Amino acid sequence: MYNFDFEKPESVADAIAALQGEEAQALGGGQTLIPTLKQRLASPSTLVSLKGIAEMQGVCMGDDGSVCIGGATNHATVAAEAGAYPALADTAAHIGDPAVRNRGTIGGSLANNDPSACYPAAALGSGATIVTNARQIAADDYFQGMFTTALDEGEIITEVRFPVPEKANYQKFVQPASRFALVGVYVAKYADGVRVAITGASNDGVFRWAEAEAALSANFSASALDGLSLSGDDMISDLHGTGEYRAHLCAVMTKRAVAAA
Amino acid sequence: MSVAKPLPHDAAHLHVTGAARYVDDIPTPAGTLHLAFGMSTAACGTLNNMDLDAVRAAPGVVAVLTAPDLPFDNDVSPSAHDEPLLATDAVHYVGQPVFLVIAETHLQARFAARLGKIDITETKPVFTIEDALAANARFEDGPRIYAQGDAASALDAAENTLSGSLDIGGQEHFYLEGQAALVQPGENGDMHVISSTQHPTEIQHKVAEAIGQPMHAVRVETRRMGGGFGGKESQGNALAVACAVAVRLTGQPCKMRYDRDDDMIITGKRHDFRIDYDIGFDEEGHITALDVRQYTRCGWALDLSLPVADRAMLHADNGYWLPNIRIESHRLRTNTQSATAFRGFGGPQGMLGMERIVDHVAAELGLDPLVVRQRNFYASSGQEIQTTPYGQPVEDFILDDLVAQLAKTSDYDARRAAVAEWNAANPVLKKGIALTPVKFGISFTLTHLNQAGALVHVYSDGSIHLNHGGTEMGQGLFQKIAQVAASRFGVALDAIKITATDTAKVPNTSATAASSGSDLNGMAVKAACDTLRDRMAEHLAQLHQCHPDAVVFAEGRVQAGEADYSFAEVAAMAHQARISLSATGFYKTPDIQWDRIKGHGRPFFYFAYGAAVTEVVVDTLTGENRILRADVLHDAGASLNPALDIGQVEGGYVQGAGWLTTEELVWDDAGRLRTHAPSTYKIPACGDRPDIFNVSLWDGENRADTIYKSKAVGEPPLMLGISALLALSDAVSACGPNYPDLHAPATAESVLASVHKAQDA
Ligand SMILES: Cc1cc2nc3c(=O)[nH]c(=O)nc-3n(C[C@H](O)[C@H](O)[C@H](O)COP(=O)(O)OP(=O)(O)OC[C@H]3O[C@@H](n4cnc5c(N)ncnc54)[C@H](O)[C@@H]3O)c2cc1C
Repeated sequence: MYNFDFEKPESVADAIAALQGEEAQALGGGQTLIPTLKQRLASPSTLVSLKGIAEMQGVCMGDDGSVCIGGATNHATVAAEAGAYPALADTAAHIGDPAVRNRGTIGGSLANNDPSACYPAAALGSGATIVTNARQIAADDYFQGMFTTALDEGEIITEVRFPVPEKANYQKFVQPASRFALVGVYVAKYADGVRVAITGASNDGVFRWAEAEAALSANFSASALDGLSLSGDDMISDLHGTGEYRAHLCAVMTKRAVAAA
Repeated sequence: MSVAKPLPHDAAHLHVTGAARYVDDIPTPAGTLHLAFGMSTAACGTLNNMDLDAVRAAPGVVAVLTAPDLPFDNDVSPSAHDEPLLATDAVHYVGQPVFLVIAETHLQARFAARLGKIDITETKPVFTIEDALAANARFEDGPRIYAQGDAASALDAAENTLSGSLDIGGQEHFYLEGQAALVQPGENGDMHVISSTQHPTEIQHKVAEAIGQPMHAVRVETRRMGGGFGGKESQGNALAVACAVAVRLTGQPCKMRYDRDDDMIITGKRHDFRIDYDIGFDEEGHITALDVRQYTRCGWALDLSLPVADRAMLHADNGYWLPNIRIESHRLRTNTQSATAFRGFGGPQGMLGMERIVDHVAAELGLDPLVVRQRNFYASSGQEIQTTPYGQPVEDFILDDLVAQLAKTSDYDARRAAVAEWNAANPVLKKGIALTPVKFGISFTLTHLNQAGALVHVYSDGSIHLNHGGTEMGQGLFQKIAQVAASRFGVALDAIKITATDTAKVPNTSATAASSGSDLNGMAVKAACDTLRDRMAEHLAQLHQCHPDAVVFAEGRVQAGEADYSFAEVAAMAHQARISLSATGFYKTPDIQWDRIKGHGRPFFYFAYGAAVTEVVVDTLTGENRILRADVLHDAGASLNPALDIGQVEGGYVQGAGWLTTEELVWDDAGRLRTHAPSTYKIPACGDRPDIFNVSLWDGENRADTIYKSKAVGEPPLMLGISALLALSDAVSACGPNYPDLHAPATAESVLASVHKAQDA
């Protein structure tokens, strides 16, 4: 490692103030950021840990019935405490390994927007609201391509609000070595329609599959998806699988998610 | 007697508590320097110029060496002198060591190594088997051909013929302990090398050449490796040689260990193969003619590729009598890591080719593949003696009985019927089952390597110091050999001190490889122990007026006539009587001779046998798959230690199944290995072993005169994993009318592709 300053503020305001400094960066669980620093792919001079901010911790119910998760809440806590939204708790329970789940945070995951991460699918699939220190961002506006989000410099995710659907399920096809999603499909059925969000597959990061949503909104059953498919052309083709295979898996996993929801 | 007892590994308690010392655990003297290689970023080209100023200026850097700085021989090849430690005028693969950084810490050396600017004029690389054939890039002048009978005419005359082709991927060794060496300067230019190697003598030889000293100036010690699997037969040379050169330059101790990524990028792996075949067979599935072409990527340097490719040819028959067979083997030169030894040493690839061939015949005829296997087996021992394609009579064949027993204990027939029923009822999840046999030849095919030495001391308190040329890599060799020594002296195991392999104690050893560790070193130790025992017996016989043969060593006691002593008393008496209590032992395997150019002779002392039944389930929508159950029956002869042997069999099966299912090596178009960490390369973990895993040893002794009639068990069980691949193929074949043509490794994506092949109209 190299030398950097470390701050652990106790309020969002202090964190924002600390992040104003030149080359300051927020630190969640460090599961992505610390390896990045070790490889010298980033070298902020100050790390501002968000883990000491009480108001960014834990799971609670919002007045509108949504499940609200503090931006610095780790995956294990979500798995244990988001029982009001079982599909979400289950998604969190299958991220990485116990070490990752006990350190990594929802804010870190959504800020990072790794194209193979699970939370982006859950947030987009649930039409969640990403709450920051400055504003509220609808999931549909938040994800802007691989590793790219609507967050501004120095802006932090303080909370994520998930409206609870009637039914939902996340199907993750794991890449066997890393256990990240080779393809992950999040399906959620709300009174006003069905949302299908897919991670791991597209070169543009997490996306919604509009045709599947339309078909499922009309008839929420796996058979409604018969004949629907995605093209592999714009999908990730890499050492773990071709774009064509990923496209194929999207359709299979969507059906599985519907059947399991 | 301690042989045949299922005792735990001698260092098991050290392994699990973390107290077992590996190279990197050894406290280093103050001033120890650390090394890292700067590597080629191009797969092929001329090396023009290196700008290493930034490397030299980096924190902690003591020196940076390039090829011209090397004082003597610049070579780490175990064979053809074609593998420079540091590249000279050309580079041959991405990852090839080009310069050497010597720094105060491991991380400083690695960071500095990244700062080198290497100017390479790239030329067109050769990556694939097809590229290499087109460019005629090969080792040896042309293909090797071994044959028996007349395959061409027999193919013409055959009732049925069939052709096919199988791709077989390579495999990363993934030893838990990476490559490592520590070299300390002695006086007057001597060097003490501690190396994680299967071949201390080779390290000694290469280090001596590199520092311009005779071998006597270099002492190499290896207490244990954290796994070797063949990956430490030659691949440790570079680290030990680099350290020795750096020690010579700086006068300070030097250590080098590869980080996992560097280890995977630099070192060789199992050879990948393509096997093409034309089969002639009758309506019952008897294979009357076979023409096999084996193509293998050897990588950029020769390393051990010739004997590996030879062994693939020598296992192209597996357990089957093939009166008319022609095997053609192409050893191709490619701009990739130099493929090296890996558990089975080419045998697994050759054997898989044959198992696939039998499976294909069975599919064509609509027969149970097991039936076709049994119809083609060699004649059992005691019947007519048939010969292998390379002229060795098969005199000890037991697969008929062994397979029949396994089919019974694993309930093969009933389960095969249940699988068919399941498949008829389930459109998405398909099950498959396969039973495959293993016949593996034991001995180094380079005949002179089949020798071993031992050194045994008895101290005057009756405690015993044991040393031999074999190395411990977790397989339990040291414990087995200690059991032999304890049995020869009739003492308890705790009287024996197991010691590190040391070129100063036993010289001119062969690698611990070819499964031969116990066979060779066990016999050498037995010889040394018997020499000492005979000396003590003679002394007692004189004292007590009996015949030396009547002196009995058992249970820690020694009886001579009426007298009864503890072993320690006898040791003290012998010492008093001025009898030498130190002896060497030597062994060479009898009855072997081999001409690798003609492809004729008796390369193997005997064969080791085994068989496995694997049942799998495949999700035909995604290609995902699981092993549901595996049953194994393996022949370790009269086992020296059934607990260790079962461990080897279980590990071998799992490693073999991993090779053929999840372990996929991927190089990109520029020749860069993209799978160089556990996050991208999937080896089986504990949770991936079959839920039901029944492993037993065959009850029977070796017919050949081996140590306590045991059989070698290191490599053969790896090939039991072939049953996993063929079970997957069996499951896929339930999806449609066509032969699945499943290639290895059978990743989910490749299984899905094969499902589509089976289904296509
Ligand atoms: C072995 C392993 C396996 C994994 N497997 C999975 C998996 O299966 N599925 C999956 O989804 N993920 C997986 N992950 C990723 C894991 O979920 C990480 O925790 C997550 O990507 C980052 O969260 P973090 O809290 O550790 O963020 P950090 O590493 O601390 O930060 C990541 C980035 O987010 C920023 N950041 C952190 N918190 C905030 C915030 N509140 N507001 C704004 N910006 C912030 C940081 O500045 C940094 O840029 C895995 C990781 C590892 C190491």
